[in-house]
Amino acid sequence: MRKYRRPLWAVVAVAMAFAVAACGSSNSSSSASGGSSASSTTSSSSGGSSSSGASGGTATVVEGSYPQSLDPSIDFTTQGGEVHWLTYLGPYSFAHASGTAGTQIIPSVATALPTVSDGGKTYSFTIRTNLKYSDGTPVKASDLTFAIERDLKLGWSAASFLTSTIQGAADYAKGKAKTVSGITTDDATGKTTIHLVNPYGAFVDVLAVPGVSYMPPTTPMKPEPNNPPVGFGPYVIKNIQNNVGFSLVRNPNYAAQAVPGIPAGHMDVNVKVESNTTTEASDVLNNQADVFDWGDTIPPALIQQVSKLSDRFKAVQTNKTFYWFLNTTEKPFSSTLARQAVDVATDRPALARLGSGALVPGCYLLPPQMVGHPTGTCPAGDPNSSPDVAKAKQMVQQSGMAGQPVTVWAQNRQPRLEWAENYAATLNAIGFKATLKTIADADYFSTIETLKNHPQTGFADWQQDFPNPTDFYQNLVDANAIVPVGNSNYEEVNDPHIQSELKSLYPVPANQLGTVASRWAALDSYVTSKAYVVSYGYLSSPEFLSDKIDFSKVVFSPLEGNDFSSLQPK
Amino acid sequence: MSTTTTGTELGADLPERRDAAGEELPPGIGPYALAWRRLRRNKVALAFGALFLVIVILCLLAPVYAHDIAHTGPNDQHVDTALDQFGLPIGPTWHAKFFLGADNTGRDVAVRLLYGGRNSLQIGAEATLITMLLATIFGVLAGYYRGATDGLISRAFEVIWAFPVYLLGISLGVVLAISGLDLGFIHISGSSLLITSLIIGLIYTPYVGKSIRGQVLGLREREFIDAARQQGIGNFRIMFHEILPNVSSTIIVFIPLVLANAILTEAGLSYLGAGVRPPNASWGTMIGDGIRLLPSAVHTMLVPGIMLMLCVLGVNVFGDGVRDALDPRARIRIDH
Repeated sequence: MRKYRRPLWAVVAVAMAFAVAACGSSNSSSSASGGSSASSTTSSSSGGSSSSGASGGTATVVEGSYPQSLDPSIDFTTQGGEVHWLTYLGPYSFAHASGTAGTQIIPSVATALPTVSDGGKTYSFTIRTNLKYSDGTPVKASDLTFAIERDLKLGWSAASFLTSTIQGAADYAKGKAKTVSGITTDDATGKTTIHLVNPYGAFVDVLAVPGVSYMPPTTPMKPEPNNPPVGFGPYVIKNIQNNVGFSLVRNPNYAAQAVPGIPAGHMDVNVKVESNTTTEASDVLNNQADVFDWGDTIPPALIQQVSKLSDRFKAVQTNKTFYWFLNTTEKPFSSTLARQAVDVATDRPALARLGSGALVPGCYLLPPQMVGHPTGTCPAGDPNSSPDVAKAKQMVQQSGMAGQPVTVWAQNRQPRLEWAENYAATLNAIGFKATLKTIADADYFSTIETLKNHPQTGFADWQQDFPNPTDFYQNLVDANAIVPVGNSNYEEVNDPHIQSELKSLYPVPANQLGTVASRWAALDSYVTSKAYVVSYGYLSSPEFLSDKIDFSKVVFSPLEGNDFSSLQPK
Repeated sequence: MSTTTTGTELGADLPERRDAAGEELPPGIGPYALAWRRLRRNKVALAFGALFLVIVILCLLAPVYAHDIAHTGPNDQHVDTALDQFGLPIGPTWHAKFFLGADNTGRDVAVRLLYGGRNSLQIGAEATLITMLLATIFGVLAGYYRGATDGLISRAFEVIWAFPVYLLGISLGVVLAISGLDLGFIHISGSSLLITSLIIGLIYTPYVGKSIRGQVLGLREREFIDAARQQGIGNFRIMFHEILPNVSSTIIVFIPLVLANAILTEAGLSYLGAGVRPPNASWGTMIGDGIRLLPSAVHTMLVPGIMLMLCVLGVNVFGDGVRDALDPRARIRIDH
């Protein structure tokens, strides 16, 4: 029998626990160290590996949540992406650079950018010779076919990038084919040819997304979250404690075969999960951890203190849109007028304030730095001014949807919960009967991505995977993205105008995006005017480090956040 | 003309009667009157009982405070006036509105404190009722019938007992929050307070049920039960009319103890996100919201924390007094 604890003493214990939490918890170990100690695997000098600087030691990264999976054939989260782009390289990668330079595609396992032929339907490239995985197994061209088939078999969260583009991928995913017929490889020469169903301008970007990466064909065809597959990259995943943390250890075999532009790294990294953002931020502030999760927000309690640290903190504007999804197949949001009323009533300045001031109010799905972001006035008025609630209420009355029950789905994380509470209060203020349904962070997206759960409205966000509006539209409003499980078109939008436009915009090559910017802007304005999604702003990402890390040397990728391979002790 | 005689006169020739604590018993006084007499002498218990009563009354008056004094509802957000540009809430003021400051979304802490108290107390009361009902029914059945019935019920109690209270509460809370509870004839929404009450009520049932069962096992062997059987009285009537009155003091002693634990468990589950659902307030959710703002807005956590402590302290000390009054030898407690 367990030890008896009276309620009174339990209260005291709870109070003491709060007091301890107030003083900042967490251990004090495993912070950045060893600025002078030599690394056992010093950076290679070969082509484009790590720049000069101090090496050695271990940096501690605190993450608000654990990656969806440490198996790259499943994961498609920001927390997973920043790990997988260092542990599993594909034919292409994004440059390890801050700012817009970080959106440039560089050859990774491939020797050069692909040759595109057949009107944009065939991509050919050759891979580097003599590359070896972290266990010494040689990298072969056919390993990419295996990896893509594994992605499809295991249900990679971004599998639609593959099934909608590569010939035979959809059939393979459905079990109608034994292999993906659109990919042909020659292990002797390293030549790879990929045939597409239709021209797809962002296909090279897809080949650079973590998840489309080489792995040996001996890898089990089953999810391996606790024993991730062997890969080729500057780091290797070790010491996994599910939902608690893991380590990224520099790959001792990488330095000798380093790919130009992809550094070998200076420090090993311990990643630990800390779901309380206040503790997460105070750990970094007090140098008990070294890197703050770029997917989180510095909490209001600490933002003033943190923002004064100009040599440790910077708010970086990235292409990340926050929006309310409105399910168009269910009342009341089957009514365009009801959806538009939500757009009119959304209090964007209040949401910005609740987001520690890091949210820039806006109304469009495409973020400001993305090609195709409209420059016109928002249909619901200036997003920086208070909403016209009376007008919205009138619109709800006119729509005939007043009094309809609405369930707002939300995460528990700060400030997402606060935003959702504000949203539910807004819906109630304009005549709906809104209640909040909060789901644990780890389960939220898998829950709302399941069609049978009928999510009515709620929180959603999208961080760019590559600098192309296709990334947003293919996942969020394309009718082809509506699937029973893993559905990211939460609104279930199936608008013929959108589908027609997307059909002609998808094939435009990435280097010609500027020529269709106005068409993307018109489409984004159309989506906003129909209020299929109600975007309320674009959040800046925090680049926040301990004072043990050399802030000036750290690369902050606009796609993958803090580049762990650039961390160096002072 | 009739003459009346007092109990003292009638009992004058009887041997001196003493209760379990060795205290002399006045003849002709019932056990509950005697317990009340003892309780009245325990001023500390009465003071804490009064404290609890005051908290209950204050919480019941929450709508009056919100409507006529603070002029804001428990879920009304005042982002523009109560939060600074970084989202940090204002602290306590000398105004009726925001007297105890604002919370992380600009809501009045005092109003939410009272409404939260209503929810916490409601859940505590409902959970206690559920626990006492289930524990009494199953405890009496197990103790009276023994054999297979006892085996089945006792094993079920042990299965529930085997799980740590909070772990079981969180598991049930998370699962039921998504789909609610569908019993066929009745559906309880996932956001309903009743879900939390049911969870807490269920997990404390074995703690009380085991004690009642033990007491019934002893009672069923007593002569008055044999006599009742000899008279052909049915089992259910024996349980209801003969056994239940004899375990009633145990049940009464458990009520404040379970209530205190239930209020505390509700706070714990809500703090961990498995109890009361936002935006509804409870002391636990308020502490959870407040802890995120701790270094800068201590009042958001401190105010509900103190209220919770006072409430549980009140129930607990008063409960100890009731226990001492009803059965000074008893050392009833809830192990978890």
